[in-house]
Amino acid sequence: MITKNEIDSFIEKIPPAPNVLKETVRLLNAGELIRAAKIAEGDLALKSYLKHIVNKPIYGFKNEVSDISQIFGILGVSLSQQSVYNYMITLLSPKKWTLFKLNATLFYELQANLSKKWEIILKHLNIDDKDVYASISLLPSSIIVTEALFAKKKDDINLLRTTRALDYNTILLRLCGITLFDICEQIAKKWEMDETVFQIIQAASGVKPSNIQAVDTLGKWMHLLLFYELSKPQFIEAGLNDFIDFQVEYVNDIYDDFALLMGIQ
Amino acid sequence: MRAVVKNGIATFSPQGFLDGNNTNSFLGIEDVDATVHLNVDMILVSLKKVVFFNKNGLDTFIKLFIQIRKKNHAIVGFCDYDHKKYVAIKKFYQDEINFSLFKTLDIAYLFSSSFKNQSKNVLIYSSDRSQRSAIAIELHDNGHNPIVVQSQEEYDEKREKKETFDYSIDSTFLGQMGQKIATRVTGNAIIYTISMFLDVEISDKFNIEYHNNSLNVGFRLFIFDAYKVISMNVHALNFFSKLASSAAEYNATICFVGMKFDKTPESFKNTLEDSGILFYAQMDDILQNKELLKELGASSASNVKHRRVINKETVLELPKFINAAAVTIEMMTNSKAIKESVSVQSLIIENRDGKVASSIGYYGDIDGMVILIFPSGIAKKACELLIGENTDDLELILDSLAELVNIVGGKIKTLLLDEGINVNITLPRTYNDVNSLLEVIENRKGIQVDLSFNGDKFLFFLTR
Repeated sequence: MITKNEIDSFIEKIPPAPNVLKETVRLLNAGELIRAAKIAEGDLALKSYLKHIVNKPIYGFKNEVSDISQIFGILGVSLSQQSVYNYMITLLSPKKWTLFKLNATLFYELQANLSKKWEIILKHLNIDDKDVYASISLLPSSIIVTEALFAKKKDDINLLRTTRALDYNTILLRLCGITLFDICEQIAKKWEMDETVFQIIQAASGVKPSNIQAVDTLGKWMHLLLFYELSKPQFIEAGLNDFIDFQVEYVNDIYDDFALLMGIQ
Repeated sequence: MRAVVKNGIATFSPQGFLDGNNTNSFLGIEDVDATVHLNVDMILVSLKKVVFFNKNGLDTFIKLFIQIRKKNHAIVGFCDYDHKKYVAIKKFYQDEINFSLFKTLDIAYLFSSSFKNQSKNVLIYSSDRSQRSAIAIELHDNGHNPIVVQSQEEYDEKREKKETFDYSIDSTFLGQMGQKIATRVTGNAIIYTISMFLDVEISDKFNIEYHNNSLNVGFRLFIFDAYKVISMNVHALNFFSKLASSAAEYNATICFVGMKFDKTPESFKNTLEDSGILFYAQMDDILQNKELLKELGASSASNVKHRRVINKETVLELPKFINAAAVTIEMMTNSKAIKESVSVQSLIIENRDGKVASSIGYYGDIDGMVILIFPSGIAKKACELLIGENTDDLELILDSLAELVNIVGGKIKTLLLDEGINVNITLPRTYNDVNSLLEVIENRKGIQVDLSFNGDKFLFFLTR
């Protein structure tokens, strides 16, 4: 159904991060928000994306924010870097989604929801590390990878799933010995993201706990956050609710804390 | 979201959070329609991967249950929950629970018609006495041996002695049951339990797919346990007459046991007898009489009087059948399936030792049966995607093989539909040795194809 060669070919085709973005991230890392904004202004698509995301209701700004230096100024270093990474991930997304009933707007909405709630979680956990902030950006790439690998096998998958409720991650692992999150790790490496980013993502898969406790805890929060979002009607209808397996036991010890933080009654 | 169907049970497995805002999204109009038309014994929602739910969240599924029960008499409810979730559901609905609750999916399988899971010893406890009885009766009607205990202490004590039972049931609640006709297998006979008033609804309550499957895989004696029947009307009479006619095509016998005619016209009995249905007073009159069993066709799994042959329609569609098997194996193993030879003959299996098989019937515009035969090690490889672990557990391998042949059946159905040929597929059946398979198909001729993947050989056999 999916071969190792197809996966290798997919990874090979991932473009390197564009220079403008690399430089923007480097300057943000150095805390030079104004210079970073000036560089970012040169990428019109990035500018348009940032405007689109930041003006979503979840960010709660009363007036429209349109200037990049203004956006970076409001967001600060960690959230600005996270937003640039979010944009980089969108560069991988398909023009037309076929496996999932998604479109660019809905995908951006998922990114925005995850990012904003991840910020709430990190504040609750008293974590102020820009790489930890950035890690959430990589999570939706697992959806893009699934779409890329399985879109042409939709009928086979549907047939298989009438008999056994196998998620895409398990199918890939059993057929090729590699998980969706291993591929996400490859993307992160190719884009020179910090190691923390893909360590958290691997733990957030729910099936590869980290032996670094801090990373594992963040993985649990991210896993639960993902399914909190994927339980929203628009994402259920997009077919995302069961694209990977939700590991309820894995998140048991943080659930009450999460429920309190998100106001779940 | 579509339900996964296995052993006569369709299961939905939502993940994450269930509340009033999102549950409608799990079930689109097409999903509801497809679910209502499923020919299954039960439709369940698994709560295994649900971390939070409230009453509003469950209500949407309850509405679906009501819709299903109007059109399809399947048992409906929830399964796969822990004690906390069980208590929450009972609290939400209190005395208005008209759906069922099964602690696990495996427990639910005990209440469905399946060739597996027969004659299990089942330890039962419920604090509600009427539930204890209801569970015991349903299990008995499905061919199991219920062991009812009267107190939690006794239950805990007996659960310690694991060798005395196969399953233990607690935190389980039967809502509206008995809508589908309970089925059990005894030797080579299938026993259906019917009760109360038999009317036009009998055709919905009777699992015709299971019955057709039983005919296709070689069962020839069908007994209706009718002790609890009060009366029958003309619609039910027509139903049984038609059932008798279709059984005659396979030279199968249908019997009624314990049926009383004090509230049913005596003329109905004559009509049914004219259709070929036999009447007996006691179940033991049949089951304890070996001569009679032989005469009724239950001495072996098959009957040789009317052997059906491969016809032109089947041969014309042969490439599709082979293609379905090959494509499925390719999908499951990520390797190329190669056709090595094709011949029309009786099934020839060299080295019968250590081989397992799985079959699935199809019926409709054309009918027949597809059989796959593997050395057990190769079966394990073919089902690696479904098994997902290194195992020598034969039951697990056979279970996965049943799923594999079910996927082949689904593919056949799709490929034939592309040509405008409508068929339904039956439940899959597995054989842990080829002798039991050969007993079913005897010397029937068919099309035998030797196939291989990664150098591993297996057999495909298509017969009628």
